[in-house]
Amino acid sequence: MPESVYYFIQQLLNGLTVGSTYALIAIGYTMVYGIIGMINFAHGEVYMIGSYIAFAVLAALAMMGIDSVSLMLVSAFVISVIITSTYGFAIERVAYRPLRNSNRLIALISAIGMSIFLQNYVRLAQGSRDIAMPSLITGGWAFGPEDGFQATVSYMQLIIFVVTFVSMSALTLFISKSKMGKACRACAEDLGMTNLLGIDTNKVISLTFVIGAALAAVAGVLLGIYYGVINPYIGFMAGLKAFTAAVLGGIGSIPGAVLGGLILGVTEAFTAGYFSSEYKDVVAFSLLILILLFKPTGILGKPEVEKV
Amino acid sequence: MIKKINKTLAAIAISAAVASVAGVAQAADTIKIALAGPVTGPVAQYGDMQFTGAKMAIDQINKKGGVNGKQLEAVVYDDACDPKQAVAVANKIVNDDISFVVGHLCSSSTQPASDIYEDEGIMMVTAASTSPDITDQGYEMIFRTIGLDSLQGPTAGKFIAEQVKPKRMAVIHDKQQYGEGIATAVKNVVEKAGIDVALFEGVTPGDKDFSALIAKLKKEKVEFIYYGGYHPELGLILRQSAEKGLKAKFMGPEGVGNKDISAIAGKASEGLLVTLPKSFDKDPENAQLVAAFKAKGEDATGPFVFPSYSAVQIMADGMKATNSENPVKVAKTLRSQTFKTPTGNLAFDAKGDLKDFSFVVYNWHADGTKTAVSE
Repeated sequence: MPESVYYFIQQLLNGLTVGSTYALIAIGYTMVYGIIGMINFAHGEVYMIGSYIAFAVLAALAMMGIDSVSLMLVSAFVISVIITSTYGFAIERVAYRPLRNSNRLIALISAIGMSIFLQNYVRLAQGSRDIAMPSLITGGWAFGPEDGFQATVSYMQLIIFVVTFVSMSALTLFISKSKMGKACRACAEDLGMTNLLGIDTNKVISLTFVIGAALAAVAGVLLGIYYGVINPYIGFMAGLKAFTAAVLGGIGSIPGAVLGGLILGVTEAFTAGYFSSEYKDVVAFSLLILILLFKPTGILGKPEVEKV
Repeated sequence: MIKKINKTLAAIAISAAVASVAGVAQAADTIKIALAGPVTGPVAQYGDMQFTGAKMAIDQINKKGGVNGKQLEAVVYDDACDPKQAVAVANKIVNDDISFVVGHLCSSSTQPASDIYEDEGIMMVTAASTSPDITDQGYEMIFRTIGLDSLQGPTAGKFIAEQVKPKRMAVIHDKQQYGEGIATAVKNVVEKAGIDVALFEGVTPGDKDFSALIAKLKKEKVEFIYYGGYHPELGLILRQSAEKGLKAKFMGPEGVGNKDISAIAGKASEGLLVTLPKSFDKDPENAQLVAAFKAKGEDATGPFVFPSYSAVQIMADGMKATNSENPVKVAKTLRSQTFKTPTGNLAFDAKGDLKDFSFVVYNWHADGTKTAVSE
């Protein structure tokens, strides 16, 4: 194979990895929007908190002298998911539930406030410096000519693909098959009516936030270890990109969030790889505008029927 | 029309109020020096260096009896290396009626703030901002005790052309005033020396994933990469390059030269080349001062610690020489005299830049230490 094919494959893989991470965070945005029609701008910060908890767990284990990689990974995931989910639950309880019946704009402002609060809370508690995370899993595969351009995939990249795919499939199954999932879909359809029919909608909405936060925690742990650096500001950019991915794929649709994330990631990688990294955000966001012009609900979004 | 008059009246009332506050402040027997720089934000550690150096100078001057019979007092302002916040800080310093500023740190913050200081007749000495644009405006109140990008770039470029001699290289920057300025200077010098610059590209500060860029650098088969910017991005680029098997040597300006780059990049930071101001803490003449920092439990090794110390000292020396705290008079004196400081004998040109300042190339190590390559 000529070198340019390996280069193409490499950029595709790079794009898919970044896209998977966008997708994991985007699911949280899309679920909340699908059910209560609100954009949870604090979701990026929840992801950031997930990273910090993973760091705290890893640091604590290292202090106790435990150096088994699998044990470190599992405990980082479990503890981060549990604590971050609690955050997700608490955020909904404190900042959104009291405002649920008011104007949508008010809930949105509350979400932005929550985002600023969480960012500064972590900054004050942990300091604003970059914190380096240990790279637990190193190595990978390289393929291509020995003396020419070699495409590489690291184990960590593979883990990110797999975790994203498994999380999405599990969530889709949960929503389409389980009883609670059915309640979620009912809430998405008509919240007021579902409540009248005897379903505890408060519980369903809390659950949505908990699931979104848990997935954000998974992304936080994975990306913290993959990139190796965290600071209190990582949530902002990650949240913005994930939100874009959710809108691109059709906000409210879970497969749409994953598709949107992947498209966004691959577009960025190809722009940076074949054109210039200076223009990758310009091209990615132009694509978003183009798609929304022709399909205002996003790629997989269903046209919303105007409720009278 | 009435509205207009009301506005004028209000303005007069406010300025009268400010003036009365100013009167009170001047009656006090301390001379306030504002220390403006990032207390928070991603480059806060550089701010620490600046504050450490300046506060030490203030302490030592006060111990020797202060300036013109008055004690100096440090007031810290946080600009978070954000141009918007820097302007707010500058206005606050004006309102607080402080006439002397040591700061700011980031060139992009110093630039907008310096406009305000010049207009208000406040003297500003930056110990860290290296963008040539800051002094290019011909301001009378703005000085710096550190070299310029336009100096650091050629130093790095000359080193690359004469010592490294790569066949193909890339120049990457962070699209900011500081990073792109140095990167452009480096590119111009090495291109004149006949080195092929295969890639000149910007990255977005705050980005975490540079895999697409690294794949491109691998494809272009560059042997050497110069990065203009700060350590958070270069640290990640180094780490991801090592993972992706990019075998090239990296070089960066003093913005990447601190221990955090080793924390982020780990082993990948070994062998990174960095241009930094001379290590003033290694100068035998400064041994006593280094011991004073150690006694306070402070780190004297950062690149901005001693230039900040000198910044405070020249202000104090200027006030002593003119026997006044009038910043305009002090600024005039600074241009006409030579001052002996821990960073050498400082003399300023008409633009407020040092007449003589040199950068040194260092070899960075994975444990956060460095060794000089060229003197």
